[in-house]
Amino acid sequence: MTLFGQPIPILTLITFIPLLGAGIIALTPRDSIRLHRGLAFFFSLIPLALSAWLWLNFDPNRPGFQFVERAVWFPQVNASYYLGVDGLSVMLIFLTTLLTPLGVLISFNITEDPRTYFALFLALETGILGVFVSLDLLLFFLFWELGLVPMYFLINNWGAPERRHYAALKFILYTMAGSLGLLLGIQLIWAALGGTQGGTFDLLEISRRWPALQGTLVGVPMEVVKAIVFWAFVVAFAIKVPVWPFHTWLPDAHTEAPTAGSMILAGILLKLGAYGFLRVVFPLFPAESARFAFALALLATAAIVFGAYAALGQRDFKRLVAYSSVNHMGFVVLGIAVAGYALGNPTIRDHALIAVNGAALQLFAHGLSSAAMFALVGVVYDRTHTRDLEAYGGLWTRMPVYGGILIYCAMASVGLPGLAGFVAEYMVVQGSWPVFTALTAIAMLGLLITGAFIMKAIQKVLHGPLNPRWARLPEMSAREILAVAPLMAFMLLTGLWPAWIVPTLNAALVRLFG
Amino acid sequence: METQGTLLPLLVALIPWPPFIAFGLITLFTNRWKRLSHTIAILSVAISFVLSQIVFWNAIRMEHLGEQPIAIRIPWLPVGPRPLEFGVLVDPLGAVMLFMVPLVSLMIFIYSVGYMAGDPHYSRFFALLSLFEAAMLLLVVADNLLMLFIGWEVMGFCSYALIGFWYRKPSAYRAAVKAFMTTRVGDVLMLLGIAYLYAQTGTLNFHDILRNPETLKALAETPSYVAGLSVAALASLLLFAGTVGKSAQFPLHVWLPDAMEGPTPVSAMIHAATMVSAGVYTTIRMFPLLQAGQHGLGGETAFWVVALIGAFTAFMAATMGVAQNDIKRVLAYSTISQLGYMLAAVGIGAYVAAAFHLLTHAFFKALLFLGSGSVIHAVEHGHHHAGHGHGHEEPFDPNDMFNMGGLARRMPVTFWTFVAGGLALAGFPLITAGFWSKDEILGEAFHGAFEKGELLPLLVFLLLAAAAILTGFYTMRQIALTFLGEPRTAAAAHAEESPSSMIFPLVFLAFFAIFGGYVGVPEGFPGLSALTGGNWFHEFVGGTLLEHPEALPFNPVPVVISSLIALTGLLLGWAVYARRPLAAGEPDPLVRLGPIYLFLKNRWYIDDLYQVVFVRPTLWLAERAVAFFMDRVLIDGFLHGVADAVWSMGSALRLFDRVVVNGIGDGIGEAVKAAGRELRALQTGLVQNYLLVVVLGVLGFIVLYTVAPMLLGF
Amino acid sequence: MVPLTWYLLVATALFCIGVYGVLARRNAIAILMAIELMLNAVNLSLVAFWRYLHPTATTGQVFALFVLVVAAAEAAAGLALIISIYRNRETVDVENIDLLKG
Repeated sequence: MTLFGQPIPILTLITFIPLLGAGIIALTPRDSIRLHRGLAFFFSLIPLALSAWLWLNFDPNRPGFQFVERAVWFPQVNASYYLGVDGLSVMLIFLTTLLTPLGVLISFNITEDPRTYFALFLALETGILGVFVSLDLLLFFLFWELGLVPMYFLINNWGAPERRHYAALKFILYTMAGSLGLLLGIQLIWAALGGTQGGTFDLLEISRRWPALQGTLVGVPMEVVKAIVFWAFVVAFAIKVPVWPFHTWLPDAHTEAPTAGSMILAGILLKLGAYGFLRVVFPLFPAESARFAFALALLATAAIVFGAYAALGQRDFKRLVAYSSVNHMGFVVLGIAVAGYALGNPTIRDHALIAVNGAALQLFAHGLSSAAMFALVGVVYDRTHTRDLEAYGGLWTRMPVYGGILIYCAMASVGLPGLAGFVAEYMVVQGSWPVFTALTAIAMLGLLITGAFIMKAIQKVLHGPLNPRWARLPEMSAREILAVAPLMAFMLLTGLWPAWIVPTLNAALVRLFG
Repeated sequence: METQGTLLPLLVALIPWPPFIAFGLITLFTNRWKRLSHTIAILSVAISFVLSQIVFWNAIRMEHLGEQPIAIRIPWLPVGPRPLEFGVLVDPLGAVMLFMVPLVSLMIFIYSVGYMAGDPHYSRFFALLSLFEAAMLLLVVADNLLMLFIGWEVMGFCSYALIGFWYRKPSAYRAAVKAFMTTRVGDVLMLLGIAYLYAQTGTLNFHDILRNPETLKALAETPSYVAGLSVAALASLLLFAGTVGKSAQFPLHVWLPDAMEGPTPVSAMIHAATMVSAGVYTTIRMFPLLQAGQHGLGGETAFWVVALIGAFTAFMAATMGVAQNDIKRVLAYSTISQLGYMLAAVGIGAYVAAAFHLLTHAFFKALLFLGSGSVIHAVEHGHHHAGHGHGHEEPFDPNDMFNMGGLARRMPVTFWTFVAGGLALAGFPLITAGFWSKDEILGEAFHGAFEKGELLPLLVFLLLAAAAILTGFYTMRQIALTFLGEPRTAAAAHAEESPSSMIFPLVFLAFFAIFGGYVGVPEGFPGLSALTGGNWFHEFVGGTLLEHPEALPFNPVPVVISSLIALTGLLLGWAVYARRPLAAGEPDPLVRLGPIYLFLKNRWYIDDLYQVVFVRPTLWLAERAVAFFMDRVLIDGFLHGVADAVWSMGSALRLFDRVVVNGIGDGIGEAVKAAGRELRALQTGLVQNYLLVVVLGVLGFIVLYTVAPMLLGF
Repeated sequence: MVPLTWYLLVATALFCIGVYGVLARRNAIAILMAIELMLNAVNLSLVAFWRYLHPTATTGQVFALFVLVVAAAEAAAGLALIISIYRNRETVDVENIDLLKG
């Protein structure tokens, strides 16, 4: 697409329009709440429209990155403003731009300083989108950090009153600890590639030169440097996913965050970690990835099993849903581990391709289902001001529509065939069974318990006689239904006809294996 | 693979859609209009029924339907070496299922209109029923395991939702969760089996795997590294685990009796007569895989597992069924028992017999469930008519057979159809469908045990024979307690025949329960065989397999034995319960068995055992071990430890900062400040003082430059 | 003719009286008058130097006239200030006027 003979910088527009919106909202008067809501919704819809256009115009059959934009940014260290997308990032961009307006919609009931809230929310979107479009490691890191700050304030200022400060601090410290290593690793790569003489942050160039790099860096053998960078990256991304046992920030942050914050956290922020593995770690460290893939698969299995058990053990509705993310992201990591293993073992590439496609699809599926689940938890929390499962009971009587929607989304979460989660989980299991047979079999225990905790949640919230405390509970409003309905539609679409999205992912992921 | 035409496959592909669309329409739009909802639902099933009939009647006229099934497929998951394809497949086995499923379902839908009338969630019931129907049809027409699994799981969800339909009742939602979780144990193993099979063969298509001798041979010869089994054997056992869950076989049988807590005989019937048979259907469908493993590594292990689980379940459930008082629970146990029969048949290689019993069982069990529903409906209404239901008297259980009695006169149609179904269940010789299919299974077992002298068929034969006696006994017990004698409660005395929408399906199904068996009369059976034109069912369904199975030569001995067994059980039941019907308040004669009765009544204490061995440890593990100890204590403890250490280090550094760094910095500042404070006194603000200083200064200079040189002499 | 030295002595005496007045008087108006005295001492010496050292040039006279003008202006400004201070603080005693104090 061109305008006045110039190509329109579509990626830049998608990325920065939310930030522009944030700025404009910040300039409006403090009291005009309706204006804030309207502006936030409007500015989150534009990127959605643009990313839908991006999806439609993206050609999965063309190799390499598309819609590339490149400009000089920081010539002294050879960093550039370098953007581009492949199938994987297109999917994630779409997911991000889809969830943001829905998050804005669900946040319409925010009354405490909505101006700042919406501005931060939109700034958050820019940070996340930036990570998905960056092809320059320094830019990648910049956006990576940019996303943290608004999230911190969203949890800290608008979270649930009891433990929000603890949760916000835990979230930011934990993630910052990871990104410290990320920054170190990026700098080491730059220095090892020649620093000011030939050093680069260009991801594509790095993935060409780095894996074969020999020699020393200030006397340290390159093997050691690579090992340091590898582990720095792995830890950073593992915290974000989160890989077991780095997961304990997640239940706290997800539980205490405001509803829309939880939606974005679970729906997208966790995906950054998996994206980092696929986009950065694997192309740069094929040998190391293959060597440690089994360990990663082991941790993934632990996440699946222990995540499910921990979810089953919760009394707090939101915490239960939060732990389900640990469980579901475990499948993502399992699929990624299979792909990592295949980098060193070409014979299993067919299986690995299925597994990693499953992992990528699980990113999408979990993005939909977890966001929907958090939205639904928010709906009852807004009405009852409690998250204690024992305090609900029989809400279905008062809220039949809500009950139906909750069961639908819970079933998507549990991986009911016909909805998105099943296809993804099946593909991961399918791909990892021939490679990590025993681990996959153990992971089935997690899948079993997944059913148990979802059943527990549905039963405690909806079933049984109506608790007289909630005798006047209002039904889900049209606005709340509207915030969940698109997610439900995409769950069904993906579950029934995954071919609408899988080829796009597949085209990107097949290039992992050269 | 050659297929038959293009129009028929498309028709087949259409079959699951109408109920699915009906589900969507009812859920989204017509929730409030009851009449419209059931019209849409019934119409959708009727469309599917018509389509299925067209396909069925075309299919049975086709030559070589086994080799050239009605099939079509499209890529569904385009990833990996070749895209996973979805499609439909109707081979002889599929065709007979396609005949049975929509027919029985249509009856259920019609019946539900009468039974569910007045329920506040009427539309939801029909929506779920439609979704269930769509899933079941999907499962039947599926041409691959994954698609079958999708139908399988969606049905599982629907059964969960229907069991827990009256969600306010704790027993109902507990039963729903139990059903979901128990079947899920099998389902996850089944998913592994699917993954295993795909990883080995690169396809999940039934026709590609099961009718391809090379694939089967390769699967049978590849070791699986588990218990010395071949891949074929292990994969079929994993898939069989799914069946064990879905068809409620030991050790996963516990959910089905509880599922009767579900609101209606209609939904109970859904789980019992339709969905659970899907499990058996899958095992029958995958029979070639099981068979392939027979000659490969690990030998007959897989057969042994399937046959013994089936036969043992048949026996165990029959014993439990004897001691139940809930009319639906008796049927539930009989269902478990009969499904065990079918699996035992598969396990001894009696493929066609299993399929045959699956078919006849579906008809007569549907009939029995609907009949019991009619009874419960009547007793419930009778209870209201008798003037109860308004006061605060003790709770009345309309399902308890000891609250009935003498209903034969009050509701004759229900009675006679129920008798037809019950006799079919017990295998009453010659005039019921159940006799022919059961006889075929027993005949096969007899043949293997006494003519070939093998151990497994002998075990199966003994267990099944014992189960058959018990079946006859509890069937007669049920009929006698419900319909014979005098009414034992006012409710039973006021019961009235159900409305015609409920009666019509009963009569219709009774027809099949009696005559359905004549499609499979053994070749050479005196008299009847010539009348029914030989064993059509065997010829037709046998064509599904690569090698057409041999029909057994007619042998009068097992026929006589199985007739005697059935009659013995029925007569025993007659002697105990019907000869002198129980009066009101009289205890069950079985109580005299003492501990055995308690053991049976409490279902061999298996539920309690599971509660102790699985449920509580799982909850303990979840709440205490993982959620609390591992995450809160270990991991968060470690994190908090690190945080505290960093905090302490920070405090130490802060102290250093305050004392040393701040000390120096502040010291300089303080010193300057103090000096300023002292010097401040000089600034009086009085201009005269300043001037004085100026003058003094000037004088000083004068002294310095003029007077001092003079005095000091330079 | 009276020698230059005498004029200068008178001027010095006048100046010293002025300095003393400025330093010692407490009344602001008196201080102003003492300043006038000092200016006049300067005028006297300017005129004396002109007459005795450069009678042909008019520099001395001109300077003296400038000083007179400045003195007049200064007196005017000074009085204005004093009046302003008086209005604010009801005093013209310089002991009490210590706004410059730090």
